[in-house]
Amino acid sequence: MERRKFLSMTLGALALAVVPASVRAEDYRKSKPAVWTAHTVDDAIKAMYGSTALTMEGVKLKAPDVASNGGAIPVDFSTDKDVKTIAVFQDANPEAAVLVVETNKYSVNNYSIKIKMAKSGTITIVAEGKDGKLYAAKKTLDVALGGCEG
Amino acid sequence: MAGIKVKAKLKGGVVKVKAMVKHEMMTYNMAEKKTGSRDNANFITHLSATVNGETVLDMSTSQFLSKNPIFKFQFKGIGKKGDKIEMLAVDLKGKTYKGKGKIK
Repeated sequence: MERRKFLSMTLGALALAVVPASVRAEDYRKSKPAVWTAHTVDDAIKAMYGSTALTMEGVKLKAPDVASNGGAIPVDFSTDKDVKTIAVFQDANPEAAVLVVETNKYSVNNYSIKIKMAKSGTITIVAEGKDGKLYAAKKTLDVALGGCEG
Repeated sequence: MAGIKVKAKLKGGVVKVKAMVKHEMMTYNMAEKKTGSRDNANFITHLSATVNGETVLDMSTSQFLSKNPIFKFQFKGIGKKGDKIEMLAVDLKGKTYKGKGKIK
């Protein structure tokens, strides 16, 4: 029992020690809290990037036309542009933001995720280019069965 | 044990990673419906991956990822076969989840 306690304490301490070095490049939940509570996509994009002037090119977005299960909708997105961040928004849930990726020098900007949507809606991907432009792609899809359980 | 499953494969100079975080991903609405309090909501808020001490993924996330969310991402210019990729997720309550995988 003693040993176990010691082990778990050590692991806990290690976890604490690891966090600052590896994680906190920028936590957008802390630095831009308004993004995560915004109810519309426009508000969220504005909170994140300060503008809603989107350039509808340079981003590829793949999602099903009809999602049978709103609890896990596969979304693939990629961009060839030189970007700083990529953000995913949708307008079916109470809040708009789904995630923000901060790219790094090793990134190949090609991601697949699974998201929840409570009803049919539009997914918007915004990629913030290093040239200051906001590249974006949108896709509207039908959700047969809502994923947020009300 | 809560954790992250990580699979990574090197092909043509690009490492493709597939990771699954075992997590309920309880939204505010779900928490309210199931437990009567929005405060019980809990979800992954941040996910990162490192190879040889260098960050290859840095992602802030919200409650609208699916339950037990799967992430696929890619990187290049670092990592060779046999290198370890380490992933760390933090949820709303501050709990950390860890996972490790070898690049194949």
